[in-house]
Amino acid sequence: MEEVPLLKRLSEKYAGQVQIVGISTDESVERVDRVVKEKGMTWSILSDGRGFDGPIPTAYHVQGTPDLFVLDGDSRIVRRFTSATEIEATVEPLLARRR
Amino acid sequence: MNTLALVFAIWAAGSLQPARDPLAAVRQMVADAREEIEAFEKSNPSAGSQHPAVKWDNALWAIHEREPRTDAGARAAVEAVRLLTQAEMWPRADARVESLTLDDPAWEGLPWVLYEAGIKRKELPAVITTLSRVAEAAPKPTTKAAALMIIGRAYRRQGDLAAATRSLEASRSAAPASSYAEESKGIIYEIEHLSPGQPAPAISSTARNGRAFSLADMRGKPAVLVFWGTT
Repeated sequence: MEEVPLLKRLSEKYAGQVQIVGISTDESVERVDRVVKEKGMTWSILSDGRGFDGPIPTAYHVQGTPDLFVLDGDSRIVRRFTSATEIEATVEPLLARRR
Repeated sequence: MNTLALVFAIWAAGSLQPARDPLAAVRQMVADAREEIEAFEKSNPSAGSQHPAVKWDNALWAIHEREPRTDAGARAAVEAVRLLTQAEMWPRADARVESLTLDDPAWEGLPWVLYEAGIKRKELPAVITTLSRVAEAAPKPTTKAAALMIIGRAYRRQGDLAAATRSLEASRSAAPASSYAEESKGIIYEIEHLSPGQPAPAISSTARNGRAFSLADMRGKPAVLVFWGTT
């Protein structure tokens, strides 16, 4: 949650170029909706209220948060890390390749 | 006896009574040690002042020697080494580890501590060597499984996915019902499905704003998947 301001900045910086998707591991969808609204999170949010047992955290073997995956334009995994501070350094070369 | 004296007597009896559960006593020592070390490190200590990890290492190691081959004794040894490695007192930590015989039950908890220390010191190959000896000699299957699981993690971190998978499979078969086997299975899954270059697992869902969401629709653009929790 402390990385929300950074994600907000990145979603503005990369608007139209990089898709940011927040996948919640909460067990209450209502709580997610409330926080998303309160914090003004404008990127896509997925949440099924099933916590870490939902199909997406299971497929990505996510056991704790934050846990981030950067995918290239072919939806291949580029890198996985645990802090949004590493997004820019990973995404920039991907965008440079496309320019 | 007046009420105040009675209250005092009860308080004194309670606080003087030694903890009956030795494992709980070790846990309490570790909590106290962390608190003291944190305060010490914040205090901008002068060059000559002794790091409190030394004192706590001595206290914990005394328990390890007094109660060898018990859960409390093993835990005390593991926590002593952890405190030393977190304080980056490498020679002292190494000496403690080397003093343990390969059949010491502390080896079940040590692999993680050595792994984290190995990353910090950039000496994962040495950790692999040590843990390979443990995996070979440890009498307990769960200790073998713990050592092999960490060897697998270390190989993966070094980019040797084939060696990692071999070690993780060995961890699974060493103690199939253990938490280490479960963890090894998870890392094998990550190696096979979530390594760089592999296609991201499909996602097809409905976003909270009501729009259909599919990973396949995002092709052509890089994406960042952020797994997060509100708490």
